[in-house]
Amino acid sequence: MKLSYVIREGIIGIKRSRMPFMNSVFSVTIALLIVGLGVLAVDNSLEFIGEFQADYDLEIFLENEATLFQKNELAAIVKDYPGILRMDYLSKEDAAALYNAEFGEDVLSLLDDNPLPSSFRITFEDDHRSADYILSFIHSMEELNGVDEVIFKQDLFKRVQGIMKLIYTVATITLFIIILSTVFLTANNLRLMILARYEFIETVRLLGASDFMVKAPFFLEGGILGFLGTSLSVFLIVMAEYSIKYFVHFDLPIKILDHPEVILGMILFGVSLSSLGVLKAVRKMLRFVA
Amino acid sequence: MIHFENVFLRYDTGISLRDLNFTVEKDEFLYLYGDSGSGKSSILKMIYMDLFPNSGTVKVLDFDSNHIKRRDIAHIRQQIGMLFQNFYLLSDRDIYSNIALPLEIQGEKADVVRRKVTLKADELGLRSRLSHYPHELSTGEQQRVALARATVNSPAILLADEPIAHLDPTAAAEIVKYLWKINEAGTCVIFATHNDNLLKNDPARTLTIISGEVVGDRIS
Repeated sequence: MKLSYVIREGIIGIKRSRMPFMNSVFSVTIALLIVGLGVLAVDNSLEFIGEFQADYDLEIFLENEATLFQKNELAAIVKDYPGILRMDYLSKEDAAALYNAEFGEDVLSLLDDNPLPSSFRITFEDDHRSADYILSFIHSMEELNGVDEVIFKQDLFKRVQGIMKLIYTVATITLFIIILSTVFLTANNLRLMILARYEFIETVRLLGASDFMVKAPFFLEGGILGFLGTSLSVFLIVMAEYSIKYFVHFDLPIKILDHPEVILGMILFGVSLSSLGVLKAVRKMLRFVA
Repeated sequence: MIHFENVFLRYDTGISLRDLNFTVEKDEFLYLYGDSGSGKSSILKMIYMDLFPNSGTVKVLDFDSNHIKRRDIAHIRQQIGMLFQNFYLLSDRDIYSNIALPLEIQGEKADVVRRKVTLKADELGLRSRLSHYPHELSTGEQQRVALARATVNSPAILLADEPIAHLDPTAAAEIVKYLWKINEAGTCVIFATHNDNLLKNDPARTLTIISGEVVGDRIS
């Protein structure tokens, strides 16, 4: 079988069934537009809610009398603790500077000595960021020498985590349903597109085309269709992002163009959806032709 | 070349063909003669492996209906030309593309395709029609296009299923004449018909079929 035959028939097929082809392109566009906008909305919501959380999960305050050796030892223990994403050390001087920045007063001018303790600010990895895990971490920290107090705003943390989890669950279920419906809709559109080509499939089978030769040009058509549909949906999503920025004056924290891997994923999904959908429709039709 | 051995074919509605036993040799011209519904088309379908017998064996070229794989059906059909009463032309392609299709399916090079199609169009008086579309042609011309397509790759076998049923006498005579011509050139022709006059005017070996049974095998 010649590749030139497949390419030529694929392109001829598109030209000759422009309307059903464009219908299918738009069906893929709409499907991926809904999915893309959905993912973007969820990601931005989660990011927005995440901003309610502090930059760090908890703070370990050290005793004023803690020696440098104790601090180093403590830092090593915390660093080795599983699930720690980041640990920042704040010296007494850093704490004073923060106080100054926050309240506009120099703590050293108010008091003779700097009363603010040094501390470690800890951020957990996402898969370890649960209240139970953090509480067990706090218990083990409180037993260590040199630790004065561990501050963890449990209520706020739990509430934010709860909301994020709820959004994530609802969004996952909704997106799953949307993806499923769009797959069905697209598959139906593709089936109609192939149905319009019954005459061609029947004739070439009678003339000695193998199943593979019948399918290959349609597979190519499906790929082109999916690529066009997905590209159009990405373009529309980018336009939507710009519209929000210029008309609503809100700059989304997460944009599709910042995530080429999402664009690539969408293109792969669109191309696979349509080329496999077309292939399935042709295979089904081949069962009925000579 | 073609061999039917104890072939039975049953449809859901009842038996269609019963106990067919015959052989068709290379270079032979054979009529399948019978009324509508007698089973002529079913026999042709079994030759191009669209239908398979419920029992018995159909052997075509080097293939056997009991052991053939789906991918080999395409190989058989590439060696069989087919002519139907409803032509099966692709309405959205011009005449050149319609005739070229079997060659392209077989992977012939573009210049070979061009040469063979032009030659065939000349033979059948279709040269001036190559850029036209099927709906722009008369019924007789459409059947000539179908004939050109069926023979452009010089098939070993040509199956014609009532190919002149819808044609006027002149157009019909042209088609029959051409079928004899390609038979003389070495193609085995199997011609399904219910036309008595045809058998009288152009006699050849004839299998008479009544209700799915071969009741006669003689020179008409």
